Formats: sequence, structure tokens, C-alpha cells
Amino acid sequence: MTVDLLAISLSCGFFALVVAAVLLVRRSERRLGRGPGAPSAPSMPGPDGGTDPIAAYLDRMSGELALPAADVAEVRAELANHLLDSIESLEAEGLDRETAIREALGRLGPAAELGRQIRAAHQSTRRLLAGAGGGVFAAGGGFVLGYIGGGFVVVALALAVFAVTAGLAAVGLRLPDLLADPTGSSSNSILIALAFAIAAWVATRYAVRTSASLSHRTPRAVAVVWALAGGLVFGWWALFGLSGPQSWPIVAAELCIPVAAVAGAFVRIERPLPRAPRWAIVVGLIAFIAVPLLGFAAIISPGSGSASGQATPFQMSDLHLDTVAPMAPAAWLPGDGITDDGWVTESGAAVMDAQSISGQSTLPIGPALGNWRDLRFEAWHALPMDGSGPGGIDTRYASPFEVQPAALHGDSLQATFEFERLRDAGSWWVVLTALGPDGHRYRLDFGYSDFTTFKGSAWDWLTAPQ
Amino acid sequence: MEGRIKGQLLKGTTTLLVLTVLRDGELYGYEIAQRIRERSGGAFVPSEGSLYPALHSLEAAGALEASWQASDRGPRRRYYKITKTGLGMLKEHAQEWATFSLGMARAVGGADQ
Repeated sequence: MTVDLLAISLSCGFFALVVAAVLLVRRSERRLGRGPGAPSAPSMPGPDGGTDPIAAYLDRMSGELALPAADVAEVRAELANHLLDSIESLEAEGLDRETAIREALGRLGPAAELGRQIRAAHQSTRRLLAGAGGGVFAAGGGFVLGYIGGGFVVVALALAVFAVTAGLAAVGLRLPDLLADPTGSSSNSILIALAFAIAAWVATRYAVRTSASLSHRTPRAVAVVWALAGGLVFGWWALFGLSGPQSWPIVAAELCIPVAAVAGAFVRIERPLPRAPRWAIVVGLIAFIAVPLLGFAAIISPGSGSASGQATPFQMSDLHLDTVAPMAPAAWLPGDGITDDGWVTESGAAVMDAQSISGQSTLPIGPALGNWRDLRFEAWHALPMDGSGPGGIDTRYASPFEVQPAALHGDSLQATFEFERLRDAGSWWVVLTALGPDGHRYRLDFGYSDFTTFKGSAWDWLTAPQ
Repeated sequence: MEGRIKGQLLKGTTTLLVLTVLRDGELYGYEIAQRIRERSGGAFVPSEGSLYPALHSLEAAGALEASWQASDRGPRRRYYKITKTGLGMLKEHAQEWATFSLGMARAVGGADQ
């Protein structure tokens, strides 16, 4: 019940944050665009019908403003109206139009100086702080909204990839397994990272547009600050904060997050934010409903899954264990031989534990293997056991990718492998080997196999041993 | 114009003059300048170039509120209205000015004697 209440409260909080951020951004957009309250400056023909000196004055003044578009329009209109009144009054006093215009412009002073003073009046410290706070708030709401929208986009993308793959499979073509992803975790991580990248894009865009509006600056003027902040925050998060399965494609997708944040602050930032078109909402809803249905259909359709195909009789030779070393003669091994127990601990380390299992011998494993030297566990790349084959040693590799000495703990031989911190562990097979009485290396057991995905942050991946 | 205050003396008084004339009601920029001239009997003619930065500054500080409204003549005008913050600011500036002008009158009067 407590969890439910917490979940409901969090959901309501996120919803309120998004709604408030959207309202703030919409309000800001009115200032950045040409808002309804900002009339255009009245046109005033010059005295000789040629170049309008008033328009030229206003242009020079506007060039120094560096304010949002609606503010510039307001200032121009206000000063144009002032000049109209002033000229009219001067003409009433008896001045001709040309002299009246000159006098009215002279009273306002140099155009560039006036523009700078008005800009300084607008860009107060109070507004700068409001812009910073509003930008952070809008970024938060934009991130949540962007993640929801990004979710729809990646679902549509997944749907498209699924359709293409299914279409190619129907005509007998099979795409290469670029992700080497038997569990599907890599695909999920990439899609989530892409959704985060979209969220980062929206977040900085919202931040730039909102803070520009609240601080009375142009979006271009504040973009650098937000690009820097977004790049640092999202860069740190992408490198150190996102922990989970990692691979080169996943790391690349995660590093797209800060890139998207920086790009979101600059690319076409002067253009108004788009409102979601109706077709996008419809497509999103269809994707939202269609993907689970298609996934369900794929699961229940006959011929799908690992049960398909002809089951081939299993033979030990299919495992290619002799690639590691020949099996030790039974006479040199204690009792009925050695079996392995392997498991993955909570810390992610694979602890191999070899024990002597025998109904006849009561010898502890240490004295029983007294004739053997250099006992060690060898970790070899293995083929995945995914239904297409029995797995076994991957014969493309001529040597183990990691070797650990077998240490005696009580009656057990043990070694610890940090497979989850190795980039290329994937499917692995760990075998106990040793130098026999004849000086040759032999395999003492059938080993233990499993599949491990690298888990950690992008930084862990980038700094991990090969 | 005889008896007209020179620009240097006017510096720093624009805020007080603007807030004072707006205490009586909403006005737009040109009207504010005219009203100051009228109320001072032509003694104060604020520089129009400094009037608009002052108006926008006061608006940014929350002392004034601006809105576009239809006017009796010509296009829509940007009207300024004094806020509660502006009234407080006016009171403060007026007290400062009273102290300053009294001191100046005493000092200058003393010099005349």
C-alpha cells in the first residue's frame, strides 16, 4: 500500500512537473516569437518619399538591443509611436516635416546608445536569476516529456527494425547479429539510451528557450551556457551514472546523450518549439498498442522460438573441449573424477569451485592431485547455447582469454573471474587444467559454461581490460 | 527657455519624476514626458533618450506595469501603471529628494548671504 501511494505520488509529481514546464515554455515562446501583445512599428514615409530616416534610426537602435523578438518589436513600436507624436507636435509648432523629424530623432539621442541603454534596462540581474531558475525547471519538465516522447520514437524504431527483420526472414535473408545479444539486453539498453538522448535534446532546448525569454536575452546568447551545463551534466551521467549491460553499441548510444544535449542548445535554436502534430500523437498511440500485440503474436506463432528446427543428437565431441587440452587419463584422477560447481556471486564475480566427488575415495582433493602441477582454471570463449547449437568451445580462439591459478580452499580448488568487468566475455567455458606426471597439460574436468554480459557504467567499459 | 534645469542637474531625478506623474494614472511614454514638462512649468524637460531606459528599468524592477492599449489618437500605445512596489519606491525617492533639496537650499542660501 505504501509503495502504491509512493508510486501514485511520484506519477502525479512528474505529471505536474511536465504540465507546469509546458505552460512555462508556452508562455516563454510568446516572448521569443512575435507575441500578440507586440504590435509592429507603424510605417512612416520619409519627407522626400526616399529612405525613411526613422526606420533607419530604429534599425540601428534594434541592432544593439539583443533582446527576444517580441521585446524588440515592442521597443520599436513604442519608439516609433513616440516619434510620431513628437514629429506631429513639432510640426504643430511650425517646423517643416524634415526639420521636425531631425529634431525628434535628435531628442532621442544616438540610436546605438539608446539601444544599449534599453538592453541594459531589460537585462537585469533579477531577470538573469529568473532565467536560470526557470531554465532549470523547464529542463526538468522537458527531460520527462522528452523521455516519454523518446519512448514512443524508440518503440516506433523497434517496430520498424522488427518489421524489416521479419520481412527479410520471410524471403530467406537473415541480418547479421551485430549486437551479439542472445538475451536482448543490449537492444533494450540501446533503445533506452536513445530515448534518453531525445530527452536530453528536449531538456536543453526547453532550458534555452525559457531562460532566454525570462532573462530577456536571445536564445543564441544563452545557448552556450546551457550547452556547457547540459554537456557536463548529461556527459557525467552518461559516463558514470547509467549502470547496466555495456558494449560498444551501447556505449556509443549512451554517449549520444551529451551530444544530443549540446546539439539541442544550438541547432535551429532561434526557431519556435514545435507543437506535437496530431498525426504524431496518433502514430505514437498506434505504436504503443501495436508493439506489444506484435510481440505477443511473435511469441505464440508456431515455429517461433528456440524450439524450432531439428534437434540434433548431442555428442561430447561437439563441445570441442580437446581444443583446451586432452582429457586426463581416468587412472590419474582421484575417484570418479572431478566436477565443477560454478556460480555468479552478487558482486558479479564468477567463482569456480572444483571438488572431488567420489563414492570410493575419501582422499581430500589436495593429496589426491599431488602428482599434478600448475593447476589452473582456464576461461575460454564459448559458443552460445541458444538453440542453434550445443555451445562448446569457440574454436576460433587458440588460447584462453583469462587464466587463474587454482587455489586450495579447504577441500576445494577455487578461482575468481570478474567476467562482468571483461568486455568480451560473452559466452565462456571455464576448465580446470594441470601439468600431468608426464609433463603434458591435461584437462581435469568438463568445465562449466555460462553467458555473462558486461555490467557497469560506460566509463567502466571504456577503462575495462580487453 | 529661461529657468529651465540643465541636463546634469536632471540626472538621477528621472526615476522620481516618472513615478510622480504616474501616481495620478496610466500614461504612455510621450505623455509622461509632456506631463513632466507641464507639471514643472517647463523647468524640467527630461531627455527623451533617458526616459525609455528609465521606464524599462522601472518595469524590470517591478515598479511599473506596462500594457498595450488603444489610444484616443493613432495606433495602440504602451501604457505604464505604477505598482505597489513603485509607490514604495516613490515614497523613498521623494524623502531622499526632500532631504537633498532642503540641504542644497540651506547651503546655497548660506552662500548667497
